[in-house]
Amino acid sequence: MTTTLKPYLNAVRATLQASMCLQHFDSRVVERHNKPEVEVKKSKELLLTPVVISRNENERVLIEGSVNSIRISIAIKQADDLEKILCHKFMRFMMMRADNFVILRRKPIKDYDISFLITNTHTELMYRQKLVDFIISFMEDIDKEISDMKLSVNSRGRTCAEEFFKQF
Amino acid sequence: MDRFRMILLEVHNRAIYEALCLRFEAAVKNQKPESTKLIIADFDGIIYHLSNPNDDRTKLCLSILLHFYKDLKEHGADELLKREYGSYLIDTPEADYSVSLLFDLTNIPEDWKDLAMKASLLKRNCFASVFEKYFEFQRTGETGHKTAVIHYRSDETLFVRALEDRVTVIFSTTFKGEDDIILGKVFMQEFSETRRKYQQAPQVLFSYKNPPAELNDTNAIVGENRGYVTFVLQPRHITKQASDNTINMISMFRNYLHYHLKCSKAHMHQRMRSKTNDFLKVLNRAKPESKTKPEDRKNIHGKIMRQTP
Repeated sequence: MTTTLKPYLNAVRATLQASMCLQHFDSRVVERHNKPEVEVKKSKELLLTPVVISRNENERVLIEGSVNSIRISIAIKQADDLEKILCHKFMRFMMMRADNFVILRRKPIKDYDISFLITNTHTELMYRQKLVDFIISFMEDIDKEISDMKLSVNSRGRTCAEEFFKQF
Repeated sequence: MDRFRMILLEVHNRAIYEALCLRFEAAVKNQKPESTKLIIADFDGIIYHLSNPNDDRTKLCLSILLHFYKDLKEHGADELLKREYGSYLIDTPEADYSVSLLFDLTNIPEDWKDLAMKASLLKRNCFASVFEKYFEFQRTGETGHKTAVIHYRSDETLFVRALEDRVTVIFSTTFKGEDDIILGKVFMQEFSETRRKYQQAPQVLFSYKNPPAELNDTNAIVGENRGYVTFVLQPRHITKQASDNTINMISMFRNYLHYHLKCSKAHMHQRMRSKTNDFLKVLNRAKPESKTKPEDRKNIHGKIMRQTP
């Protein structure tokens, strides 16, 4: 693990642990409704100050907290065009399966590649610590996976070219 | 070598080859010929039709439809096919088709496998005429012929030009969608880098959007999703011995490139699927084990033991 990645992930982990302090909270606008306050943003006093943790200008995490839900948005490193499409494809692939992922948001927040929405129901039904672990391991793996996919495209290209030129 | 079997595409059409082999073999063994009606599609919108003309089961007619046959005809495709197929070629092709070959199943030669192979190379041989003609121009030093233009797909074109010391073959190809353009670029880059290791191979040049300078006098299309691939064939590639191989490789190139783009995408998709499953497993670890009652266990005396909660 590179030297900058470790403190970056530690900062994200600490922030998530601190902000994942959620409780049941009925909507104050509509009676008998219960909505993730971070999404509806109807009452200002229920929201916490959003935090952006960034490793560099391309890799950053936005954590928005509120009384009953937090929203985590991740911007993933995209060094060139190929990484951009790989990342886009991959994130779309995952978001199409958002139902299975429970905490995955179907659409990312603007300027970010993928968003998670964790509500108090999730923290009641699942282990809080493991949810944090999931986000961290996701961030760790996704970079590796994208660079691996990029390498495999490149190596396929090279093998194809070699086989083709060998024929002459 | 097994690992690389799928990497190069076959020049002949395997479906045609197998269909013909089956029927020739039956004919050689004097089995009763079956009735045949096959329509087989190939790259570049080509359609083969294998049938019994006039329901005569002892005859087998193989026709090919190329939308761009009139382009090829200008460059002597007819003569080349005549040379290759001789008496099998019939003068007036089947209606709606470009070229037809007729086989008499009562009179199949000993080397029917070779004949089937030759027939399945029909598409390649149609293409070969242009190349052979321009290779010949180069050999005899006849320059100044205008560039041959073959519209081998509705929006993709092939240009062949003979110069004093080389023949240039230029493909224009369309990449569908943003992803293909980028993947295409990566592949092209690998091709130009790898070429340095193989000095015997022809030089390959790529350009995007704008056609190379050689095509300035033609109406080559300029566009965002367009790639131009130029092969510079040196005289050593177009000698009588080498030209067959060169033609095979060049005529296969476009399909080869696109085939591998698709394969790459499929591979990516597979990886994404497995990685997504991995992520899901990590997430599911966050869910507590289902709280079903622990199974009742009996001790040696048959007494039910309950775990104290």
